[in-house]
Amino acid sequence: MSKLALQKKPLPSKEAGLFKELLTLYETRQLKKGLKTADQILKKFPEHGETLCMKGLVLTNMGRREEGIDLVKKGIKFDLMSHICWHVFGLIQKADKNYEEALKSYTQALRFDKENMNLLRDSASLQTQLRLFESLVEIRHTILRLRPNQRQNWIGLAVAHHLNGNLEEAKKVLEHYFYSLKNIPDYDVEHSEVLLYYISILEGLGELSLALTELDQSARSRTILDRMAILETRARILTKQNVSEADEAWQSLIERNPDNYESYRGYLTSQGITLDTPNPEAVAKLEEFVTKIPRATAPLRLLLNVSSGDKFKELIGAYITKRLEKGIPSLFADIKSLYVDEEKRKVVEDIADGLREKCALEITVSSEKDEDPSTHLWTLYFLAQHYSYLKQHTKALTILDFALHHTPTLPELLLLKGRILKRLGDFIGAAKYIHDARLLDGQDRFLNTKCGKYLLRAGMIEEASRIFGMFTKKDAPSPASDLQDMQSLLFMLEEADAHRRDGKLNMALKRYMAVKSTFDDFDNDQYDFHGYNLRKFTINIYLTLLKWEDRIRSHPGYVKAAIEASRIFVLVHDDPSAVSALQSTDNLTEAEKKAKKKAKKAEKKKVEEDKKAAPQPNDKDPDEQPKKDEDPDGFKLLGSSDPLEQAAKLLQPLQTLVPESTDGWIAIYDVAIRRKKLLQAIAALNRVHSLDPTHPELHIRLVDIKQRSESLAPSLSTQAASVFSETLTQLVPEGLSLETLNSQYLQKHGSDGKALLAVAKAMNILNAPQEELDSTVFGIVAEGVKVDVKTALSTVHFLATIKSQRVTEFKEACQKRFQQSTAFSSPTEIAELKKTVIRDSTIELTNGVTNEEVKAELL
Amino acid sequence: MNVRPMRVDDLPGMQACNLQNLPENYTMKYYLYHAMAWPSISFVAEDNKGRIVGYVLAKMDDEVPEGDEPHGHVTSLSVLRSYRRLGLAKKLMQQSQEAMASVYRASFISLHVRKSNRAALSLYKDTLGFTVKDVEKKYYADGEDAYAMHLSLK
Repeated sequence: MSKLALQKKPLPSKEAGLFKELLTLYETRQLKKGLKTADQILKKFPEHGETLCMKGLVLTNMGRREEGIDLVKKGIKFDLMSHICWHVFGLIQKADKNYEEALKSYTQALRFDKENMNLLRDSASLQTQLRLFESLVEIRHTILRLRPNQRQNWIGLAVAHHLNGNLEEAKKVLEHYFYSLKNIPDYDVEHSEVLLYYISILEGLGELSLALTELDQSARSRTILDRMAILETRARILTKQNVSEADEAWQSLIERNPDNYESYRGYLTSQGITLDTPNPEAVAKLEEFVTKIPRATAPLRLLLNVSSGDKFKELIGAYITKRLEKGIPSLFADIKSLYVDEEKRKVVEDIADGLREKCALEITVSSEKDEDPSTHLWTLYFLAQHYSYLKQHTKALTILDFALHHTPTLPELLLLKGRILKRLGDFIGAAKYIHDARLLDGQDRFLNTKCGKYLLRAGMIEEASRIFGMFTKKDAPSPASDLQDMQSLLFMLEEADAHRRDGKLNMALKRYMAVKSTFDDFDNDQYDFHGYNLRKFTINIYLTLLKWEDRIRSHPGYVKAAIEASRIFVLVHDDPSAVSALQSTDNLTEAEKKAKKKAKKAEKKKVEEDKKAAPQPNDKDPDEQPKKDEDPDGFKLLGSSDPLEQAAKLLQPLQTLVPESTDGWIAIYDVAIRRKKLLQAIAALNRVHSLDPTHPELHIRLVDIKQRSESLAPSLSTQAASVFSETLTQLVPEGLSLETLNSQYLQKHGSDGKALLAVAKAMNILNAPQEELDSTVFGIVAEGVKVDVKTALSTVHFLATIKSQRVTEFKEACQKRFQQSTAFSSPTEIAELKKTVIRDSTIELTNGVTNEEVKAELL
Repeated sequence: MNVRPMRVDDLPGMQACNLQNLPENYTMKYYLYHAMAWPSISFVAEDNKGRIVGYVLAKMDDEVPEGDEPHGHVTSLSVLRSYRRLGLAKKLMQQSQEAMASVYRASFISLHVRKSNRAALSLYKDTLGFTVKDVEKKYYADGEDAYAMHLSLK
């Protein structure tokens, strides 16, 4: 290698000139010309490393990735001492989001060009991205030493110290910076931000009085411009200091924004008053605000939390009446959290009953009402929500149907009807009413989204796509691809679930993994801001960005997708034949085949049109070129050679970010045990045990691990083996047979559907006699057992996987238990029902409920 | 509903609210850009579970010619259908306006609205006091025109 490096000779002046030109051409993104120039040099000097690398870089930018990367690698070999070669390599790795490797290349490049600002800045960004704060401090030092006149370089160093946990140093750097500052223009937003950052550092160091002095001084001299930030910081610091002026600070915040709950909380807390439990002091204070700021709604609502007894009765009565008169759709959603308090729930129920009687009376007296008919309508709407929330769905539906009969054109009523049917397990009927709601206002995307979601819940994936497509970009390959590009987690997760329920694991996995890559995007999104915020001096918000990014995968959307995808990977690992079974086109109905063909044709046409529309596609940014979907059906994903490794990677962030998720630990167990990571597996079960020792899924896994441990344990070292068996004994007492364990669990939790399903699954693992298993399964929907539609459906699914003969019989039993549900109907029935969902106009919205009927229900 | 300044961890909720409600959507990077560049002029409304039910996403105009006064721009304003009639849009806008005026000395606020979107037009015109300044032909990707609207802050 050193021999090659020694061969490096400078280019003659003509080629050297061309090379300079090449650099400019690349920077100005004239890629085609750049390519020509590179070839001109290479014709004479085919082994010129830097030119090879530049050519490679140009090619990768033109979409010829592989070829480009090969050239770069070749170039580096010819010139290992060139900062340009390493820089180019680093750029490519960075573009691939391979930050670790990119940093290595940058570090190499810096060895040969120690003071190159571009290299230094990019390295700093990479180090921040990788959270390597110690070396970040070093590089920020170098940058500041080289360019002390640039203000941002001081801030950069302070932030580096801060991130590295050294607030004291950060403070010193900033103070030095302030000292050296000259001529700050009036009204400088950037300076204002730096001052706020400085104050937050003082706060972090616990130097509260100094922080306050600085803040007040800067507020007076108007060097901090953000009034809201001044007030917030002031209130926060004074509260920490526990001094009496704190309440004034909170009060100023309330005056500025009387609808921020936190300000009221701060105000009351500073006076030693709590907002969390009913107390007369809080009531008195909040009532003062109600009088003082009549337009504020927050104190009115908070009053409902802190009042009790007669006071509450008086307040809630007025609160509800006023909002029914105003026709506020969110009234019930707003107050239902009060129902956790038994006493308050009773009061609201009494009010609801009163309203109900009033409604019934009005029905009798009929026409001449002195009340606004819309108040009447919103009252019925409120009542229906109230009763449905209390699981009195039939009552709720009758009231609702009456309201609909009266006013068939209010989408809210139809949305609610759909929601109640969904709660009853009638997913198809639910979709039908939501679709009717959508028809009432086709311009409203909210109704459109709801409709698409309900169609997915009803298993009508194609129809959902058509509905969603009314609002997605017309030039996108499909509604799904637009929604995915726009990072709609709702769509990806709902469609994934719909495919999963439909048995199309390939498509389900594809969508779950799309959620995963959306979160990868969120993670990568921060990169540019490592430099950007320094230039903008918005440091406080930047620091919260970094913290948020560190926890981004604790988002419920990621957690859900990771767990579901891991389950599919586990399934495929356990039964690789599932992939080929799904792949055989026999699974496609004729209609699906046709649709697929059509889609393919459309895509082909689309690609051709794109080609025509873009005359110079080669000069475009690679990101802008439409990416072709290499795996439209998800079969490549599903057939991955390393399903368990992929699953483990997906679940990795869950361990630290959502340690309270039992589903997460169960998924981690399922993957670990198959990867023969016994200690990880048992530790995961231990975590579930500490969270919920009787969790049904845990019960199944305890049986599972016991079963497997005999064959797996010998692979452990003696030390590990003893940890393993010790933990296992804590979870499952030694000497207890698994059959006994199972029947003990059954005895304890026999009235819970989920537990019964767990027992049945454990029986299956233990090869229990068929009748025993059957009677357990049928017990799930027996009278007196607590079970929901979802658990019943899981049971159907379980019976199907063990190829039980009694699936149909079980579904019939489910139907008896959930009479209004369509989830257990036969495929032909379901197909018929689905045909009724999409109607062109709202014909026959209600069953024509009469006054008499509704009165009977109301009274 | 609670109305308060936007935080970074609100952004996914804002994005979800936007996607559910409006035809103009943006990737997370664009939300981040607003938050990082102008951290104090966007606001959210949340329900008691902390779910975002409305937001205003605002920015300052980057390309103001020398000598012109700075002005703000509302990129997106949205309140979920189920949380309408509470005056949330107005509350959000008022907070944002005050912040734009106090932090950046904005002299006016601009925004675009689809010509066909009568509901939004009426909100901006009647409730919030905006006036139509101009019609921008084919402003939207699908070819629809936009009203360019203004609200003076002086």
